[in-house]
Amino acid sequence: MTDQALRTEGLTKAFGGVVALDGAGVAFRHGQVNALIGPNGSGKTTFFNCVTGMIRADSGRTVYRGRDITRATPHAVAHAGIGRTFQLCRVFPRMSALDNVLAAVRPGGVLGRLRGARGRAEVDRARGWLTRLGIEHLVDVEARNMSWGQQKLLELAGVLMSDPETVLLDEPAGGVNPALLDRIGGLVRELNAEGRTFVIVEHNMDLVMSISDHIVVFDRGRPIAEGPPSVIRSDERVLGAYLGV
Amino acid sequence: MPSASDPSSTTTIRRPTVTVARAGRVVLLVVLVAAVVSFPSLAPNPYILSAGILVLNYALLSTSWNFVGGFTGYISLGHGALAGLGAYGTGLLVTRAGLPSFLALGVAALVVAALAVPIGYAALRVRGASFVIVSIALVLVLLLVFQSWASFTGGSRGLTVPRPFPDLLRPEHHRVFWFLFAGLLALALLVWWLIDRSRFGLGLKAIREDEDKAESLGIPTFAYKLVVFVVSAGFTAAAGGLYALWFGDLDPVFQFSILTGSYLVLMALLGGVRTLFGPLLGALVVGTALEYFKVEYGGTPLHLVATGLLLALVVLFMPDGVLPAVAAMLDRFRPAQQSIREVTAAELREQRESGVRAETELAATRPGTPSTRERA
Repeated sequence: MTDQALRTEGLTKAFGGVVALDGAGVAFRHGQVNALIGPNGSGKTTFFNCVTGMIRADSGRTVYRGRDITRATPHAVAHAGIGRTFQLCRVFPRMSALDNVLAAVRPGGVLGRLRGARGRAEVDRARGWLTRLGIEHLVDVEARNMSWGQQKLLELAGVLMSDPETVLLDEPAGGVNPALLDRIGGLVRELNAEGRTFVIVEHNMDLVMSISDHIVVFDRGRPIAEGPPSVIRSDERVLGAYLGV
Repeated sequence: MPSASDPSSTTTIRRPTVTVARAGRVVLLVVLVAAVVSFPSLAPNPYILSAGILVLNYALLSTSWNFVGGFTGYISLGHGALAGLGAYGTGLLVTRAGLPSFLALGVAALVVAALAVPIGYAALRVRGASFVIVSIALVLVLLLVFQSWASFTGGSRGLTVPRPFPDLLRPEHHRVFWFLFAGLLALALLVWWLIDRSRFGLGLKAIREDEDKAESLGIPTFAYKLVVFVVSAGFTAAAGGLYALWFGDLDPVFQFSILTGSYLVLMALLGGVRTLFGPLLGALVVGTALEYFKVEYGGTPLHLVATGLLLALVVLFMPDGVLPAVAAMLDRFRPAQQSIREVTAAELREQRESGVRAETELAATRPGTPSTRERA
């Protein structure tokens, strides 16, 4: 139990006649880099959306660190310790990089919310994350004026600012150049070593195989295989469903 | 882990421009306060003063609207109805319950703020165009109620509100209310400014930019929207109540009018919804124009045509409003953005040349080198 970060039981979601999640029961491991792979339309992003409360599952349960979060609102899921990025990277376009990151600060109580948004400690921490992700020089630039790769890094900086115990990344490698890919991969390993759990949806197999400890393979809305990269690489069902050989 | 032990170059470079901007803002504020204080003495006749009060009323309403429109991006056309509720609430509390005028105003504003909780709870569930339509529905429903419930509200004949200062002559009366409106406007601006710089305000702006994203970062978006809607409704209702005490005569058709709500939106958009003084500037322009057109072409709907044209022009050419457009223009005269570490070819050349110059100067003072120069 204790080594489980995120667990679902019989998670089901249908959009009209299309069944996106079909009784998915998955367990991701605490303190590890988990990957969720599968063909397009296999329900990976829907899974993320259900788990984070962005859409409500038709049936099933989600448990995070022993706590039932099935019916929690997205901000409550975030407060429980789960941060996420989006497949089509989402930042606040007309806000500076600094404000984008500061928006993730969790003020306590009414008085905490009325305090200035640019407190010294927070600004230092926000700059720290921007520096670590290599975009410190863009601190005053509005997000809409940044490149795709910079926006992806900014989104990640914002999520990390909220200090999540578990980070869900939806296609972190999508549309980024090989150098940036290396940086993101290295960063995930570093942050994992610092104690953060990851669940990564990704199509880039080189990245998945090189950074994951544990892989879950989805097909048609449910897991068909799981295990370490060495096992997944040679699993026949995976090869048939996903790699198409 | 992140550390910021090295103060980054951007802050040190930016500081002078920030100080200049701050000084400019202080000067502007002083001018504004001076203008407000001296206007009643400068106004040539009571009519101009009363027109000024109308503009101030619009500025107050538009600033109150901007708590919702500016921060969260939810465009409400229903704020006219909230002002109407405040006006009728004040009037009815004075005439039916016999409360003292300004106590009635305070109670009415609080009651409308409380009513804004269920209204907001229903309306803020929908976004975009749907929210606009719900806000219009609010106006229409309230208009029907206040027109039909004649035994209580006075119906279509309207409601007469007794003056709070019966002994004052008309010009004096205007003068007092000018300062009351200005005081309430100052309070609204102060609260807007405080929210703008707070963590709460940053959360609201995040909602404006991308509500789902804000929620996923842990911002309780619905509660934030509801709180700021209630604040907005309270100020709007107080403005309506003050209008009722000043004007003394309420007509449901004008109190619950979509047109009023639209004027507020136009004013805020014109000035700039993301800026503190945007709605105030917009009210100054549009409110004055409205009064002018009513005086010159009173019988015609020409003022509507003019405001429609103005709205089209603003949306087409200054989608962010006048103030941001002016700020962007001034920005061009500033030394180039230092936040992006980019240097032009000319700057590079200059750097290299000045480097070379420094080196030769250094070389000139270095012991031993004079001999080489002499030899050359």
